[in-house]
Amino acid sequence: MTTTSPIVVAPRKRRDPVLIGLWISLVLVAIIWLAPVAFITFTAMKSESEVFSSAAFALPSKIEWNNFALAWAKGDFNNTFWNSTVITLVKVPLGLVISAMAAYALAQIRFGWNKMLLVFLLFGAMIPFQVMLAPLFTLVNSLSLIDTYPGIILPYLAFGVPYQVFILHGFFKAIPKELTEAALIDGASHFVIFRRIFLPVCLPVLAALLILDFVATWNEFAMALVLLQDKSMWTLPLGLMSFQSQFSNNYSQLNAAIVITVLPATLVYLIFQRYFVSGLTSGAVKG
Amino acid sequence: MATVEIDNLHKSYGALQVVHGVSMSFQDGEFIILVGPSGCGKSTLLRMIAGLEEITAGTVSIDGTVVNNLSPKERNIAMVFQNYALYPQMTVAQNMGFSLELSKIPKAQITAMVKETAEILGLTPLLDRKPSQLSGGQRQRVAMGRAIVRDPEVFLFDEPLSNLDANLRVKMRAEIKALHQRLGSTIVYVTHDQVEAMTMADRIVVLRAGRVEQIGTPLELYDNPQNMFVAGFLGSPAMNFLAGRLAVDGSPSLVLESGETVALARRPDVGAERDVVLGVRPQDISLDPTDGTAAVVKVIEPTGADTHVLAELAGQDVTCVLSERLDLKVGDEIRLSFKTPAAHFFDLKTEARLSAGN
Repeated sequence: MTTTSPIVVAPRKRRDPVLIGLWISLVLVAIIWLAPVAFITFTAMKSESEVFSSAAFALPSKIEWNNFALAWAKGDFNNTFWNSTVITLVKVPLGLVISAMAAYALAQIRFGWNKMLLVFLLFGAMIPFQVMLAPLFTLVNSLSLIDTYPGIILPYLAFGVPYQVFILHGFFKAIPKELTEAALIDGASHFVIFRRIFLPVCLPVLAALLILDFVATWNEFAMALVLLQDKSMWTLPLGLMSFQSQFSNNYSQLNAAIVITVLPATLVYLIFQRYFVSGLTSGAVKG
Repeated sequence: MATVEIDNLHKSYGALQVVHGVSMSFQDGEFIILVGPSGCGKSTLLRMIAGLEEITAGTVSIDGTVVNNLSPKERNIAMVFQNYALYPQMTVAQNMGFSLELSKIPKAQITAMVKETAEILGLTPLLDRKPSQLSGGQRQRVAMGRAIVRDPEVFLFDEPLSNLDANLRVKMRAEIKALHQRLGSTIVYVTHDQVEAMTMADRIVVLRAGRVEQIGTPLELYDNPQNMFVAGFLGSPAMNFLAGRLAVDGSPSLVLESGETVALARRPDVGAERDVVLGVRPQDISLDPTDGTAAVVKVIEPTGADTHVLAELAGQDVTCVLSERLDLKVGDEIRLSFKTPAAHFFDLKTEARLSAGN
């Protein structure tokens, strides 16, 4: 006869040492990345005297909102902020639309030259733009586009589109061709298929690319420095550089200026980050 | 509803030819099944009818009009794909109404048409769901609904049941057949499953390596296969083939290569002694303890209704379906009789059917 014990001993929970190790490294990496952000934010909110009297990572005793207003005014951020906004708001959506359409055509419409065109396009992503800065300046100058919005937006598009096409092409290729065929039989044109079926399906990837491209465009420095000579056309990173050289001893205002520069990109990231994560992992697991 | 005519159709991918001059014609309202092993060109043929694949040579006509140069939408066909191909971000209703919307039919009318089709297919409670919220069978039904709602001239089905589990497949098979009877439309259906072909088709087209092997009603093909390929492809379990020499004198019999003699019910009209292949369906083999040919049991598969026995006869595997419940074990010797009037004879070299004799 067998008896069953009424007492069930719960197995002692054993923690996986690998998991613990991973968590520790995650926390460490987070600290390394967050430290400068905390330093900049706290310093931006301290008074000039408190910056030198308190520890670097100490919270401000009294928040000096005025730092932001002063930095804004001194650094001529009215102007640079506006320029950055115009350039980013035109370039990022336009670039994405062009890239998505090009990627769709390369992935879904057979015309014999698809592979070669894709490789040709990818050359654009392989050549570092620093190599091309001088010829680029000559070209933009010959078109009389130095110190104009098109003069900076067009090169940004040229350098941004290839890698976006590359990513979207991979994504569009993975969409079963039957979906396109079903739509073709249903009477849809390629443009309708692109707009009504492919775009909604790849929204997470587009959101991910939007964030990456927004941050990259917003923070772009070298090309802007070369192509935007007139101070009135400067973007935020250029304005920040100028501010830094003029007011390098005023730490709190300098950091306030940095916060102003970084904030929009952070906000865009926060708004789209849930798509960003799903976009990065999409296609990784069979849905 | 329409007729479909295929005339000397060729398809090549570069140097590789996959369809070799296929001709056939389907009547208005016929349920045609294209069947064959993987890579036989059946899907390519269907896609050429749909306009999704370019035609290398030959013509496809729908209702008397050559459609070679028409786009898929201009052919007035509807297609159901193996993986359903439902638009993932649209609801069931939107999926079904998409083609109507593109042909600029008023919204109210689309809603009514979608509703009516949904009712036929029992999809009414699912109209607001997205494809990801549906089971495989439901998705397949939506794919069919999307085809039906357009009221096309011809329905094309590309292995629509292959992604479903066995039970659902049987159920959907009956549903598609009932739907065909209700709509009375021309259907061209591709499958590699001979059971689907046998149970659903008005006529079956058996394809091999881009060529038509035989066209006919399921029972014509089952009873009078033109060659060994068709004979072996249709019927489950597959037909048994025994190669041997046909004796001309005495009672009809086949002498196998091993020297064993298999008694036959009749002899084909071949004149002189010659090498042939005897084809007997597993269901036509019976046990005959006195006159039967000895075989050794290798595998026993009871299905409940009958028992499938795989036995070795003179070095060749023979499957038989026995309705008796026998107490058999692996290694037992049984005696099998091939004396059935339903035996088929094929030429050993050409694999073509030999005409029936006495």
